[in-house]
Amino acid sequence: MPAPRPRPVPLRPPAQVMRLSRLGSLHQCRLSFMRVLTRRLAVESWTFSRPVFEIDAHGVGHAVYSATGPDRSYSLVAFAHDLPPEMRSDRVIATAWDATFTLFDGVPDAADIDRLSKNIPLQEAGRVSAREISVSRANRSVRLWEHFVEALAAGHQPDPAKTAAVGYLMRTTAVYGSGKLGAADRETIADRPEMQVPFQAEMLSVYLTRVFVRDLVQHMANARGGDRAATLDPGIAQSLGIGNSTGLGMAPFIVNHPVLFNNWIMAREEAIARVRAVQTATNDEAATFRALLDRSALSVARWHSEHPIQIEKLKALRADMAALTAHAGTADLITNAPWNRLYDWAEAHLGTDAQELVASLILEPYPDLVDGLAPCMADSNTDAFRIDGAIPVATTRAALAASFGWAFDIDWSARENCARAWYVSEEKLEPRLGERFDEPITDYEQPLAPARDAAAAHAALANWQGDTPIATFLLAHPEHRHTIRRAQIGAIAPYGEIHDNTISADVLPIDMLRAKLAFFGATHFDPRSDRWVRICMYAGAPYPEDLSPRTADRWIYPEVE
Amino acid sequence: MSFSLNEVEATAKKAARGAGYSWGLAEEAGKATRWLCAQGLDGCAALAALLQEPRPETPTCDGVVWSGPGALCSLITGATLSDCAADLANGPIRLVEVAQPQLLLPFAAGAARHLGTVLTLSCDTLTACTDGAGLDLATIPAPPGTSDVTVSIGGAMAEARAIQSRATPDPADWETLTGFAARTYAPATDASRRLGAGAGLSDND
Repeated sequence: MPAPRPRPVPLRPPAQVMRLSRLGSLHQCRLSFMRVLTRRLAVESWTFSRPVFEIDAHGVGHAVYSATGPDRSYSLVAFAHDLPPEMRSDRVIATAWDATFTLFDGVPDAADIDRLSKNIPLQEAGRVSAREISVSRANRSVRLWEHFVEALAAGHQPDPAKTAAVGYLMRTTAVYGSGKLGAADRETIADRPEMQVPFQAEMLSVYLTRVFVRDLVQHMANARGGDRAATLDPGIAQSLGIGNSTGLGMAPFIVNHPVLFNNWIMAREEAIARVRAVQTATNDEAATFRALLDRSALSVARWHSEHPIQIEKLKALRADMAALTAHAGTADLITNAPWNRLYDWAEAHLGTDAQELVASLILEPYPDLVDGLAPCMADSNTDAFRIDGAIPVATTRAALAASFGWAFDIDWSARENCARAWYVSEEKLEPRLGERFDEPITDYEQPLAPARDAAAAHAALANWQGDTPIATFLLAHPEHRHTIRRAQIGAIAPYGEIHDNTISADVLPIDMLRAKLAFFGATHFDPRSDRWVRICMYAGAPYPEDLSPRTADRWIYPEVE
Repeated sequence: MSFSLNEVEATAKKAARGAGYSWGLAEEAGKATRWLCAQGLDGCAALAALLQEPRPETPTCDGVVWSGPGALCSLITGATLSDCAADLANGPIRLVEVAQPQLLLPFAAGAARHLGTVLTLSCDTLTACTDGAGLDLATIPAPPGTSDVTVSIGGAMAEARAIQSRATPDPADWETLTGFAARTYAPATDASRRLGAGAGLSDND
């Protein structure tokens, strides 16, 4: 008798997945961009070198870190500075940093480095070329940096408690890619296999930055301590990540790239559905899940925040982790579609944060079902931009309703429903979120309230004949053109739209930031306000000399002692 | 200066918005300018000139002849041409007095891609063909400021122009575009400085 065919499990609907509260509760998974990168570096046996390290005893100078894969090399060019404390700001609008970086396409020669030395330290005030793929900067965690240098210089190891409390020696404040400041466009590298998955260049840049930071702190300790200086314990080094401070600029990104964001979400949803459809798990697969659940619980236990919203979320998540651990300890994780049952149990018993953690964690035993979806997360559908004007009004109304029907009955003139407006400031050219009724910003509003605009377009279409081509409507109403485009994109990218109000009085931009950062593979989200979050990247990851197929993937979960 | 095409697109989009176009048309301006630059044509000059036209018109699309009370806006006309690509099956469309007609080319390319055919655009002095991906057009020494243009299905792509990945616009045109783009930026206020980005905590920890 043939084995029963796996019972397909439908994808979770956009109306469930695309709520801001759920997007703001996402966790990393096998498809996260950092893990995709480290797996590739290991499987393809990339080699790493440090051809230049010219940094003086004050920590000023530059270094080059090169990574070489099957087809080409990429190099992080790092400039180290001696920054007075009063100039150290984590705002994107700062003008000086402890260290500045670029990811160079290839290996730079002396002329390249000379050119970069005149531009990279200036960041936004400098210019780069098509040879550069990303531009970034980082500041020290002053407390931890000084502690590390002092301890190592005196011949002993840093305090593990102090190390754990911060988690990183430097945090980046912006990583610019895709043509910014004159760098190479994404389109010029997107057909390289190692760059196909989104943000691989940026993730490589941060991976190499972490090596540089480790080397720099050792260099500074050696300079101060001379012969007495201790070598940093590899275990402590491995526990360190690179911090990142992310502000509002990232929030518009997911609204401005609906096809790309759809592809991220849909790949993960497809992976979740595939694993839920598994009828029978092996003992090994169940054991893998249980082991990683324990390690995940440890990661959650180590996650700290001082922000009231995150404190409450962590309290709920920790309680749910305890319940989940107890349930998984006795539950049958082998027969009768175990992951589907576990996910259903999570939906019935746990909060959103823990539900998403379960959804990510059940993917872990199944690289063969999941990892091949990573290349689908790129957006190569440039034709999606073009509006098909032949599509009739009736179809357009239905498309608007599919993505935004929930928004049609909202009173969009009520203060609380449109209290905020997204705009770009003249002073710093950065996205900001303001109070519509308190600040003179409405005239400068960015189109980042797709739900409100969809409700307006739907209302404007009310008196049009259903069989009229939408082109006729657009000629008369160009003010709805961006919304009609989104409606047509929504038909092919159903997870491209947030199913929540992005301009309400109580919108939390940190939810949008977390959604994007979770796909990067970030952990330990630590909001500093409702629109600003610190995270940690690559904590626990192997350094290049330890990178192998065995170490390249599950480093994200701390080892349980 | 050499700019990435993403910079060109972002600046063109903001410039069109700053000049008063709707967001949807501003998005079209960004993509169209980028496409022209990718073909090695001076998209920034074309857009800068269009944005300085006194009052480019929306076409009245009367069957196969599209016209207005004055020179037609090539952005609106181009976008409408792309929207109405299927109508080209009924025969050539004549666009009467189009301002900065170069900007029609990217929209014709979109229509050609959608229809899966080559489209030919011709005006008094020039003929261009596009199959959607590429453009067959000799470099224009002095592109016409305003011209009638006929768009029709068919034509042969002899040699497509080489695709460029950077643009080097004339500094004066770039300044025109960034000047219009600046109109989209809200003047800073104390409140926006204090609250808008939501951080500003010391990073000395």
